[in-house]
Amino acid sequence: MLDKEAFCAQVMAHQDAMFRTAKAILRRDEDAEDAVQEAICAAYAARSALRDPERFKPWILRILTNKCYDACRRQRPTVDLDLVREYLPAPEPDHVENLALWQAVMTLSGDLRITVTLYYYDGLSIREISRILGISEAAVKTRLSRGRERLRRLLREE
Amino acid sequence: MDHFDELLRERARREPFPLPEDYAQRVQDTCAALEDRPPARRRSFRHWGGWLAAALALFVAVPNVSPAAAAAMAEIPVLGSLVEIVTFHRYAYDDGHSSADVTVPELSGGQAAQAVSDEVQAYTDRLLEEFQAQQETVGEGYQGLYVTSSVVTDTPEWFTLRIDATQTQASGYDFSRFYHIDKTTDETVVLADLFQEDADYAQVLSGEVQAQMASQTAADPAVMYFPEQLAIPADQSFYWNETGDLVLVFDEYAVAPGSMGMPEFTIPREVYAPLLRTP
Repeated sequence: MLDKEAFCAQVMAHQDAMFRTAKAILRRDEDAEDAVQEAICAAYAARSALRDPERFKPWILRILTNKCYDACRRQRPTVDLDLVREYLPAPEPDHVENLALWQAVMTLSGDLRITVTLYYYDGLSIREISRILGISEAAVKTRLSRGRERLRRLLREE
Repeated sequence: MDHFDELLRERARREPFPLPEDYAQRVQDTCAALEDRPPARRRSFRHWGGWLAAALALFVAVPNVSPAAAAAMAEIPVLGSLVEIVTFHRYAYDDGHSSADVTVPELSGGQAAQAVSDEVQAYTDRLLEEFQAQQETVGEGYQGLYVTSSVVTDTPEWFTLRIDATQTQASGYDFSRFYHIDKTTDETVVLADLFQEDADYAQVLSGEVQAQMASQTAADPAVMYFPEQLAIPADQSFYWNETGDLVLVFDEYAVAPGSMGMPEFTIPREVYAPLLRTP
């Protein structure tokens, strides 16, 4: 089992991926930071369940995504423009010529956004993503395909 | 992997990612504040006597959703209808490795509603038992079980409840069950009940589905089905879509590779109308 020092070293090593994952789901920096903080505490309390430290990254990202979805559920009673936007067509950015990839990713719908982030930014496999998000591998592939096509249009790549 | 796929990977690696200024410090502070003591031992199923104990002890029964919230979630039907979801029971488990989140609706409104509630409870109990049993062998792997429900149809005459489940382990598996109530008779209905007793509806519907499979595969090389695996049992999953058409639903892998998801086939009314019990 990881001791505190080893656990914290792992967290530091993956803190960028954690923030990116939370941001992809929650959109707002403040909410993402809160979710990361909650996930660190929850993961530390449950660290005896992690039998293979090599699997730390997908393990803590799954805990983090659960925290993010919990936060989404808590937020639902209030009408938040960001959440409403989830159900609306993504706005086309004004300047597509030099659009940063992350800007383009953030225009995707929530399901596509998190899947694309885990795959392209964090280098996770389709199987790992299916386990993190609790969806089938076929669903991951479908989301990736849709996300890729939308990014292709946004970034004007053929 | 195509060029664009590689380009996305490259750009994700190369382009700077904006992090909030205080983020690194906040992570560091959070880590520093962690209490350095052994965590609670991971609970084992092994020493528990039966499912009831496991359900009570391991699956944290999240406080049931209030009837008011259930009403909102179920979009309580208009006045005059008989069946409604009165509450949800939720079973959640997460050890950081494996997780389950199972929400079970409870219906009210007559004998058929009670029968459906009992069937759904028995069905989800079985899924949870399988999850529990699998925990013994899951080893270093993950497993997940997610069950949700939705009301597909709610008219003065008909009510259909859909239960969607995803089991994740080596790979994901999506499957659904549909529960139908004929409100005019207060009886549960399966596909076979729609048709006259001597009607060979299975063959007629199979023929139509196979024809649609052939048509789709001819039109798109990426589409693939296993028509030889097609079977239409008496309790085949189906629902009535918004325009009143019969839609047959197949679980993932049942009649197609997993990449096809859960195939659905809309059957034109003229195909089966002569066979209906009540035209």
